[in-house]
Amino acid sequence: MSFIKNFIEQETVSRRNFLLASAYGISGAAAMRMFGPSPVQAATFADPTIAWSYRNRTNPYWNEIVSGGEAFVESLGKPKEFLTHLINEGSSEKSLADVKALLAKTNGELALAIDTNDAPNARPVVEACVEAGAYVSTLWNKTDDLHPWDFGDNYVSHMSWSDEGPAERTARILLDAIGGKGGVVHLGGIASNNPAIERLDGLKNALKDYPDVELLDAQPADWDTQKAAQIMASFITRYGDEITGVHCANDTIGYGVLEALRAEGMDIPIVTYDGNPQAVDLVAEGKILATVFTNPHWGGGITASLAYHAAVGHFKPSDEPHEHREFYGPTIFITPDDAREFKANYLDNVPTYDWQDFWGPSNGQIMYK
Amino acid sequence: MTDMSAQTEPLGGLLTRDRIVKWAPILVLVALVLLFPFFEFLEDLLEGKDHFYLLDSRFFSIRNAARIGIAAAPALMVAVGVTFIIIMGSIDLSMEGTISVCAVLFAFAFLGWGGTLASWAWLAIPTALLVGALLGFVNGLIHVRLKIPSFMASLAMGFVGTGFALVLTGGDRLRVEDELFRSLLTERWLNFPIMCHVALAFLLLAWFIQSHTALGRNFYAVGGGEQLAQSSGLNVARVRVMGFTLAGIFFAVGALLAVGRIGIAETATGNNFMFVSITAVVVGGTALWGGIGGVWNTLVGVLIVNVINNGMVVIGLPSYVQDGVLGTLVILAVALSTNRKSVTFVK
Repeated sequence: MSFIKNFIEQETVSRRNFLLASAYGISGAAAMRMFGPSPVQAATFADPTIAWSYRNRTNPYWNEIVSGGEAFVESLGKPKEFLTHLINEGSSEKSLADVKALLAKTNGELALAIDTNDAPNARPVVEACVEAGAYVSTLWNKTDDLHPWDFGDNYVSHMSWSDEGPAERTARILLDAIGGKGGVVHLGGIASNNPAIERLDGLKNALKDYPDVELLDAQPADWDTQKAAQIMASFITRYGDEITGVHCANDTIGYGVLEALRAEGMDIPIVTYDGNPQAVDLVAEGKILATVFTNPHWGGGITASLAYHAAVGHFKPSDEPHEHREFYGPTIFITPDDAREFKANYLDNVPTYDWQDFWGPSNGQIMYK
Repeated sequence: MTDMSAQTEPLGGLLTRDRIVKWAPILVLVALVLLFPFFEFLEDLLEGKDHFYLLDSRFFSIRNAARIGIAAAPALMVAVGVTFIIIMGSIDLSMEGTISVCAVLFAFAFLGWGGTLASWAWLAIPTALLVGALLGFVNGLIHVRLKIPSFMASLAMGFVGTGFALVLTGGDRLRVEDELFRSLLTERWLNFPIMCHVALAFLLLAWFIQSHTALGRNFYAVGGGEQLAQSSGLNVARVRVMGFTLAGIFFAVGALLAVGRIGIAETATGNNFMFVSITAVVVGGTALWGGIGGVWNTLVGVLIVNVINNGMVVIGLPSYVQDGVLGTLVILAVALSTNRKSVTFVK
């Protein structure tokens, strides 16, 4: 059936290119009427409302992000309830509507940290904030043509992660562990999610240097443990002993893979991503070879902190260089050798961060392909 | 299957509409089970490998049947629960929330009372079933007393459940690592993990309730014609509340099996169960307007859905094709089981 699969893959790729091209056309037109950088400092506020807009707290990752936002608010000597939560439940429309409502309520006296749910939604959100005189910092989603420095001071910063490099490095750890030969399968996130695409690309990059390893199959497991267990079981049916290693797009997928292997009494090396506490335990026990920690707690706190400190006038964003306004978040590799130490330092006691060290742990300016 | 002889013409030829409707689900299942090995056969043939149809199939093997069984067991329990409701002509969409709450409360109780089945922690199992029953009971009361349509009442209860589970866990996941409890997955009898046998036992229980108790017959009476049942002196409201309570218990069993399968209880434990279970019930031939179908239909439906999920990956098709195929099957199943001559309008 591989010919059908190839056909579908080609169709998907060309459709994606088409969509990207048309999206660029639209946003390129919008860019014509961009706001110019303002030479004067925008108005600042004594005590702005601080808000985090995100998907929901069901997901452990977003839970960590928001706990960082709460830790930041507490560092200001306020109760953590001071942080306003705007929950978009995966809807860009709700995300934008909530932001507009809060802008109206606070009269623009707002420091907003936000993941806009998808990239195209970042522009209307940022424009609404700029128009109201509020300060906004974005995380993860924005289009490549949208830059903080085009909006003066009010669009403070954008942080994201490039997962391709780290995913490539975990893939190399995996491929070395299986002796550079055999077959690997990949279980990915939701197929259209950017991190899911980058993490698979990382594996493919690494595979170029390992000609004796075959990528047997890659299927989306939607970041879901139960779905991952079912797909892994089906992989075992199809490929059996040909599978010598498993590359997972994140930790929650990894848990499902481990359980599917356990049901069969199989034990093959796997690598994951995200560095959740349970995964770190499993790395320490040697059940997972490696995972990558992106420090969502810090990311959630620092994004809110940047917006807040710009809003109260502690720094003037437009005086900062570009690498302080669009930058990559931190990545820390966790392997069995350092898992226990990492756990003690980062998870058992969440470190007290200096929320005014905005760029210390970050990872350089965002590069566009 | 239910007794449908009253609706079937005794000498109406071999291929009457009712016969087709009655046997279509199982024929689809058999066809699928034979189809996937055929694709494997084709693939090996094109690559020039020796392949004896069915005998050399990786899909058509006991090991893979066990894998499908593992995937199907929790979904089967949930689907059986909702089958009772659909037979009554109502619908219950609260399963995702109910499962999450049951799973999370079970894990808290289990870990808090000793963390192994060999201690008082076994009481966490009846506790979870009780919680499921309670949630179903409340669901039924809201539906009957406040006269809110069942889909809306149960959908709302489902959201309440998901929210409650989130409040309980604060977004964290609970690990249930007790070897004894996890033997649901790791221990095998007759090649199938214990969880499959547990699911089978509860399926038999459901069948018993459906066909050998007054409650089961009352479900059909309500679904077949509510006004008739009411005027014959049946307390329809009571039957409905009991139906939702029973469904809640089966959702709780599903939750326990889901936790047993991956060793994690979290707010996301209930994810995806709504689509899978409703699809399975409908594809299995239980009519959405009630009165027709039963738990054996649901078994066939759940197997169809899981055979497709498994088989698509085994023959190497991307998983998003699965959703398309399943959607098509639902339309096909409903179209087949709808007698359009007797339906004057569709709302």
